[in-house]
Amino acid sequence: MQIKRRNFFKLAAVGAGSVVISPRPTRAERKKAGDSFACLVDTSRCIGCRKCEQACNEINNLPEPARRFDDLTVFDSARRPDARRFTVVNRYHSGRIDDAGLLVADYVKIQCMHCLDPSCASACVTGALSKHDNGAVHYDVSKCIGCRYCMMACPFEIPAYEYHNPLTPRVMKCNFCEEQFTRQHKAPACATICPTEAITFGKRTTLLQLAKKRLAKYPARYEQHIYGEHEAGGTAWLYLARVPFKKLGFLTLPSNPLPRLSELIQHSLFSYLWSPALLFALLGGIMYRNRAKNDSGEGHKQSGGVS
Amino acid sequence: MRQIHLQILMLMVLTCTYTTWVYAATTGEQWVAPAQEKALRRAQAVVPMVKEVKQEGAIRRSQRLHALGVSVRDVKDSYFVLNSPFIKAVEDHYGAVRFNHGQHAAESGDCTICHHLRAKTATPAKNGDKPLETQRCSACHQQAFNPDYPERLGLKAAFHQRCIPCHEQRHKGPQTCRGCHLNNVPDHKKLVKLPDNADALQVTAECLRCHETAANDLQHSAHWLWRGPSTHTQDHENSVRHGKGTTALNNY
Repeated sequence: MQIKRRNFFKLAAVGAGSVVISPRPTRAERKKAGDSFACLVDTSRCIGCRKCEQACNEINNLPEPARRFDDLTVFDSARRPDARRFTVVNRYHSGRIDDAGLLVADYVKIQCMHCLDPSCASACVTGALSKHDNGAVHYDVSKCIGCRYCMMACPFEIPAYEYHNPLTPRVMKCNFCEEQFTRQHKAPACATICPTEAITFGKRTTLLQLAKKRLAKYPARYEQHIYGEHEAGGTAWLYLARVPFKKLGFLTLPSNPLPRLSELIQHSLFSYLWSPALLFALLGGIMYRNRAKNDSGEGHKQSGGVS
Repeated sequence: MRQIHLQILMLMVLTCTYTTWVYAATTGEQWVAPAQEKALRRAQAVVPMVKEVKQEGAIRRSQRLHALGVSVRDVKDSYFVLNSPFIKAVEDHYGAVRFNHGQHAAESGDCTICHHLRAKTATPAKNGDKPLETQRCSACHQQAFNPDYPERLGLKAAFHQRCIPCHEQRHKGPQTCRGCHLNNVPDHKKLVKLPDNADALQVTAECLRCHETAANDLQHSAHWLWRGPSTHTQDHENSVRHGKGTTALNNY
């Protein structure tokens, strides 16, 4: 059977149309059941003891810090997680005052937010970063080629790189103590050590309910917002705070998953390689047509030349 | 001559301390105060978890207990050691916290500040006339992150969330971590390495092997640098600058 050019274009158009019309569900939608693990950080409970930093350092065998963990003067300057520490606590003065008129500090722990639809995993060219069903954004060092696209992609600027290690550098970020809860049924080290349970560990749906209950029960204590419920398409780490999140260094992020647009473009253009196939089919068609024209044209010219 | 006397005295003190320590270490006998022993036993006890609590507001509860005649005078045990297996099972970073229940009751004057809720069905008292309105913290607060009771705090967080704000607001009691917690002291039986008939200097040297920072700190403290009038020291009655920092013999 011969496929005519017109028929081929029709088939190609139908194929492309079906791809564009039915975009694949995002990871967030697929996992909407919310059975993954999560952590709820209630910053109003945090007393800034830095025990979480210490526990994280110990469980991940990270290098000893320049200043001891009981040195609270580190709060004098803002810090970021880096290749030597997966989590840091920062102090903020939002203007809140106590009965005596003194400024009251708010402490905020930052680490990988373990997004439901992580940009880092979307940007990763080798699949070294992947979102596990248990909630963790997992890093597989054996697949990593060190391109550091994840560092560019992450809206929270979390992944760090071992620049000091030229031979076997790794991307360093919080691993959610995944082995703790998959193998030993324990909470992450930071949540376990926290003296005031500022970090609550559990299933994401349960924690969201819990957070909403707290907001309803103590409306004066909390800013009526759960950071991470919708931010960047939802994150596994959720936050409650006494003051607007902007004052505590939290970014204002859109509620749709950040990789969705780029994935939509990429996936709709390149799924099943339909667009290159179409392009080459078009070019081939043009070449075929031109050759057929040229063949007849050249024959005409040649005959003309001879005569 | 006087310095030699002092040195002999110091030697005797050290030898006595060491002998007592060796005796305790070898025989395993250690004198424990009866109240302490009772508190330690109580701390190990695990009571069945209270599943449902009676929901009532703080003021309502306080008023109801007042009407029932339950007050801080009903406190039976005045001394506890906070050393619950619920916490020790998860982490073991600090020594047990001593908690003076009687003093806290007397200072606050209101049971409901700490005993904020009770089980839905009150526990009948064993021999008294009143049913128990209060329960120990670990009756409700046990393991953290129990998926069946997500809003229930674990025991450790329940302690900290109750203790810290109250101490801060009232400016009473310890207000730093170290005020309540002491570090776990590791078993020194395995750490200390001494010959059989060690002399005092060997013992000191062995202590200094690990505790060098403590020794340096001591040398900058009043224990090492004290000086002053010594009206009761023979031949130094009129001296105003007698002491470890000046004329006396320095030793650990």
